[in-house]
Amino acid sequence: MPTTNLAESNFLVPNATFFAELFAFALVLLVLARYVIPPINKALTERQEGIRRQFDELETAKANAEAAENQYRSQLVEARHEAARIREEAREQGAQIVVEMREQAQAEASRITAAASAQMDAERQQVLAQLKSEVGTLATDLAGRIVGESLEDEARKRRTVDRFIAELDGHSIEVEQSGTSMRQR
Amino acid sequence: MIGDSLLAEADIEIGEHKTFTFLNMTFNADTIWSTVIAGLVVIGLGFWMRSKVSSTNPSKIQLMWEAVVGEVTRQVEENLGRVHPFVVPLAIALFVFILVANWFEIIPSLHLLPAPTADVNLTYALALLVIVGVHIFSVRERGLKGYVKHYFQPHPAMFLLNLIEELVKPVTLALRLFGNIFAGGIMIAIIGLLPIWALWGPNVIWRLFDMFIGLIQAFIFALLTVIYFGMASEGHSAADDERKPATDPQPQLSKGH
Repeated sequence: MPTTNLAESNFLVPNATFFAELFAFALVLLVLARYVIPPINKALTERQEGIRRQFDELETAKANAEAAENQYRSQLVEARHEAARIREEAREQGAQIVVEMREQAQAEASRITAAASAQMDAERQQVLAQLKSEVGTLATDLAGRIVGESLEDEARKRRTVDRFIAELDGHSIEVEQSGTSMRQR
Repeated sequence: MIGDSLLAEADIEIGEHKTFTFLNMTFNADTIWSTVIAGLVVIGLGFWMRSKVSSTNPSKIQLMWEAVVGEVTRQVEENLGRVHPFVVPLAIALFVFILVANWFEIIPSLHLLPAPTADVNLTYALALLVIVGVHIFSVRERGLKGYVKHYFQPHPAMFLLNLIEELVKPVTLALRLFGNIFAGGIMIAIIGLLPIWALWGPNVIWRLFDMFIGLIQAFIFALLTVIYFGMASEGHSAADDERKPATDPQPQLSKGH
């Protein structure tokens, strides 16, 4: 009968199965603790480590990219400044070259002018000197021809020249005297 | 009595086990052998996972184990303030083993494979293991003096209540699990009395609900284990807090139902 069965063995009272269960669970616990849980923890730790490492790498890559971009930008700005500077310099240099060339040209021009005028002066002086030396000879030549007498011998030539000069002197005195008398009148 | 006549009519066995005697001791054969199968399933799952363990490409079985280990580790850390090398494997083993054992209830096996947790022998054994562990841990953490002293906190007059509390802990731990799973089995048997055309609906619904109860009970058992260990490592002044977790399981239990 079920009722008597229930009364005879109360299901809340343990029997020797208790020890078997204790042993069985202890065994399960031992196996899990020794062979199952450590690899799980290891895998978990490794994965967390891996994720952390990936994040670190990401951060580093991002920082690198930002640094590269900044460098690129600063280089670009630098290059623009450099280009502007070179342009400015070239412009200045160009202006300076123009000024220099102009000065040089002017200096050359004035030098050429000075040289030309100096040469002309020299030539004029030379011509003048030549003329002076030749005028006497020419004059005596001409005078000799007109006078018909040879002035070739030295004494006569000197005499003639002296007389000529004396006449010139006397003539000029006369002219002066007549000039004064003319003014007195 | 209506209950008795109903049971008599249907010939439902309650708390009946196939027994054998060895060295003049009675053993429940069905409980032992379903415990062995449950243990083999747990260890088998563990070694299956172990054979495929990978830190970069985890399999489903590994993720399942990782979820359990992660959750238990988190609970232990919250309750003990640190991960204790003994409490974590104990709670994991309890949870997985009880869960597998509870779910034997769902498998229709013509009483060949009863849930071993529906036998007090198993639940008493687990509770005793846990409570002995808790008391050893408590003595280690507080010293023998501190351990004895905590029975007289916060006032010596509380000694009797403290003592009862400590004695009740293993009993509630064991009987809560046993009662839930045992009741589930009785419900399945009673539903089996329904006429065949009305049987399938309540049967399916109850078995699904039983799965849920099995999960909740396994979780509660493991969680309470962790909480008891946490209480055992608390300081002397934390005697007030010690009583709170003892009442906490009741709302959790009612949530399960």
